[in-house]
Amino acid sequence: MRKKSEVKGLVIIYVILSVGLIFMAFPYVWMVLASFKIPSEIYSRFFPTRFTLEHYKMVFAGGTSGLQNPFIKSIFNSLVVSTTATVSVVFFGAITGYALARLQFRGRNFLNHFILFQMLFPAILFLIPRFLLMLSLQSINTYQGMFLPFLMNAWAIFLFTQFFKAIPQELIDAARIDGCSELRIVFRIMVPLSKSVTAIVAIFTFMTMWDEFLWYLIVTKDYDLMPLSVLLGLFTKGEYSSYPGIQTAGATLLTLPILALFFLFRRYFSEGITMTGLKG
Amino acid sequence: MNIFKKNEKRKLTGYWLVLPYIIFTAVLWVYPFFWGLVIAFKKWNIISPVKEFVGFDNFLRVSQDPLFWTSIKNVLFFMVAFVPLSIIASLTVAWMLHRIKFLRAFFSIGYLMSYVSAGVAYSIVFMILFSGDGLINTWLEKIGVTIPWFSDARIAMFSIALIVVWKYLGYYALIFLAGLQSIPKTMYEAAEIDGANKWTQFWRITVPMLNPCFTIILVFAVMMSFNVFTEPYLITGGGPLDSTQTPVMQIYYQTFEALHAGYGSSFALMIAAISFAFVFIVRKSVEREAA
Repeated sequence: MRKKSEVKGLVIIYVILSVGLIFMAFPYVWMVLASFKIPSEIYSRFFPTRFTLEHYKMVFAGGTSGLQNPFIKSIFNSLVVSTTATVSVVFFGAITGYALARLQFRGRNFLNHFILFQMLFPAILFLIPRFLLMLSLQSINTYQGMFLPFLMNAWAIFLFTQFFKAIPQELIDAARIDGCSELRIVFRIMVPLSKSVTAIVAIFTFMTMWDEFLWYLIVTKDYDLMPLSVLLGLFTKGEYSSYPGIQTAGATLLTLPILALFFLFRRYFSEGITMTGLKG
Repeated sequence: MNIFKKNEKRKLTGYWLVLPYIIFTAVLWVYPFFWGLVIAFKKWNIISPVKEFVGFDNFLRVSQDPLFWTSIKNVLFFMVAFVPLSIIASLTVAWMLHRIKFLRAFFSIGYLMSYVSAGVAYSIVFMILFSGDGLINTWLEKIGVTIPWFSDARIAMFSIALIVVWKYLGYYALIFLAGLQSIPKTMYEAAEIDGANKWTQFWRITVPMLNPCFTIILVFAVMMSFNVFTEPYLITGGGPLDSTQTPVMQIYYQTFEALHAGYGSSFALMIAAISFAFVFIVRKSVEREAA
């Protein structure tokens, strides 16, 4: 039997958690509703009196910019850049992590320390020289200019290294006796046995790339090549600055794919964060 | 003999597998790092081929730039608001999640939802929601007050901190929750027998045992504070009265709009040094060796 005071405490906790959750969800709910509202109600009302698809029509038609569907193209650009980086981060993260966790070679310890060092290094130092590098590689205003600096990631390598250390050596030995190449061992044994870490690396990389703003802002010049985040940001400051409906419709389009990923793979999100906390 | 050969071969495989990472790091990490150092000592407008060596001139000019100090002051103000608010709120949420079993996963996911919102998207949302005649003020008006969230220089940075708290609350809460769940129950039971009340238990067991969580959250928070860009860039443009100018915004304007690459570089170096020093201080003063 539970004590009465304990039950009362639990009820209070559920009430506070629910109220808090309403605050947390409110901006999302408001955003989606606002994108369907007539402009005058965006500022003054929470629930719309009538729905309109006008803003989405504007977004998809290209609106006043005169460009053919810049938003649709920008979603495509975001997908290309984010997917490329994600595949690369997972691939190189896995092979590098495998070498650092399971193979003996000189310099391994140094690399392990160096990766930790990289993770704590202030990112702001690289903004300008990497831009200049892209300039000299003639990669400004190209896809590779957007994803090149993000093709490998110290954090991903670190996670793979930690996970691969825990996989039994017998499995690797058995595969070697069967004549497996080391690359095959990585992708046929290590990665399938580390599904959650692979998912975590993939999802977080995709999310960060999809959200990235400053770097894309610097290396893209044409509307035609901009990822959604930059196009929406610039239009919000520029020609759509007095169109809150279009802004919220764009924000909804920018949010929904990641939110969908989040609900699909929610387990990996909380696992990834828990891992961060425990590894300290 | 055969085994020996195989080991030698495997050693080589190790090199082959880390080679892409080494090349990548050399080209896109080490090289830019040193290039950034060199540029900081030059006067250069990116376009012209002339790069004049000016010694410490850029650093001197940055240190005399009022906006440099304003941006640092703004970061400090951001941290003073963000760190306590986010830690108290997330620790409270984590403690409540730790206490319940039914619907714990539901609430965890619910609170984490804001973490995945894109910077541009939630900046737009709060810019409209918190605007002078936005919905929040429309509601507040009913009880007779309105708050100039982003238009009053005294509170604009606080408002920015508030919306960033919204984004990170669930994320920090889950880190704390993982920490809380790793504390053995027996510790509390032993304290209970010794007659320690809940308050003493919190300060003597919970807080010390959560030390790794506090450390990592504080380090994340400090690094993030020095990198704030998207929110003020979109919502306030640095105003009113430069109250939301951040270092990254200044570096952006100086380098990519005013084209003072050398000046921007030395600005970035000084900010990086300060942020690094902050992280160092946090680790020295908060982090305890695991018992």
